[in-house]
Amino acid sequence: MDAVGGDHREFLDATLPYLDAVWQVARHAAMDGQDPEDLVQETYLRAYAAFGSFRGANMRGWLAAICLNAARSEARRRRRRPWEMPAQARLDTLSVARADAGEPAPDVADAVIAGLDADAVSRCLALLPEPQRLCIALMDVAGYTAREAAEALGCPRGTVLARVHRGRRRLAQLLAAAGVAHG
Amino acid sequence: MDSHHRLLAAFLAGELNPAEARRWDQHLLECEQCWRAVREDRAGRQAAQALRQPAPPGLADRVAFAVEVAASARPSGRRLTVRLRWLLAGAGSLAVGVVATLAIVLLPGGRSAESMPAAVAAVAHYAQTVREPAGEPYPQPGWRAAPVEVGRPVMVTAGGQRIVLRTWRLGGTEAVVAVSGQSFPMPASAVGAAGGGMAWSAQLGRLGLYCINGRTSELVAAPVPAAELAALAARLPLT
Repeated sequence: MDAVGGDHREFLDATLPYLDAVWQVARHAAMDGQDPEDLVQETYLRAYAAFGSFRGANMRGWLAAICLNAARSEARRRRRRPWEMPAQARLDTLSVARADAGEPAPDVADAVIAGLDADAVSRCLALLPEPQRLCIALMDVAGYTAREAAEALGCPRGTVLARVHRGRRRLAQLLAAAGVAHG
Repeated sequence: MDSHHRLLAAFLAGELNPAEARRWDQHLLECEQCWRAVREDRAGRQAAQALRQPAPPGLADRVAFAVEVAASARPSGRRLTVRLRWLLAGAGSLAVGVVATLAIVLLPGGRSAESMPAAVAAVAHYAQTVREPAGEPYPQPGWRAAPVEVGRPVMVTAGGQRIVLRTWRLGGTEAVVAVSGQSFPMPASAVGAAGGGMAWSAQLGRLGLYCINGRTSELVAAPVPAAELAALAARLPLT
């Protein structure tokens, strides 16, 4: 396919079915102050520009990789450090307080499952280190496989599995702590 | 992460062979620490899955519009579909059944959008399919009809500039009002509007453009002579 003369309708037909997946990634990859919808649009414009050179079999993973790169580019443009989250500082701004930083409560899982609240989950997810947060966003929120997530992030699949495991545990602990704090 | 925890992560991902998985099942019956890890993993996954939500309504249209604008700026593609524009404006019911794609030359004389600032080109693309004045022409002195908004606002980013596009009907005329926090760059063919300070106007074929720069930048585009657009803009709900 000719990248310059490529049929944009063909491009849209091939990529718009994955809009929901890209949206999930963009919501969690967007930096502070960056509109996820802008990031989705930028992702599609970049993908369209490169559509002629796309040779892979996994369109969904390709779009996720472009989305993550676009988020990084925007972060660089804003002269921010995209891969480090000032977790403790942001924790202090949460309406929920973190419980004792020692051993998690014995029934963390029950507490989390019993009190799921999307806003609280979103806030706690934002507190995770960026690599863990993106792995969870790709696999658990957007439904990517570990292999697709690894391709999008450019790291080994085992690393993705380890990050997502650590991230899920940390997320559960943060949510349980928030629940405890709310009584 | 040590090898024990890597194996646990692989177990949770269902990637161990049956014999290894059986060993882990047995281990979990005996190891409270690993069992807690499993429960937290599952709870965290379940919590994250609760964040799934579909893309916002209109995002697909916005993306399609942005791609169409990008495509039309390329040498081989100066087309914009009437159907898409109506869908973007939220007038889908009027567009139902419109399956033909109408080719529209962006600018007269075969000039492409490349010579236009991207933000202005995007507005011009969007306004290309505004209907010609029907019946009563654009507002005349003493004409008192109130403008009526057509469809819903559309947001797009072009040239790094966020733009909100609204379409207004005033009598037999429709006009697109584009609002941005950044000034719309002045095309080479534009002229300063009389008495307008930082205002400018331009004529692109049948399409007139009139831009007013103030706290926000507002670009009015309508299929009327640019010289008449200031009068038309005065009747529109600009900020």
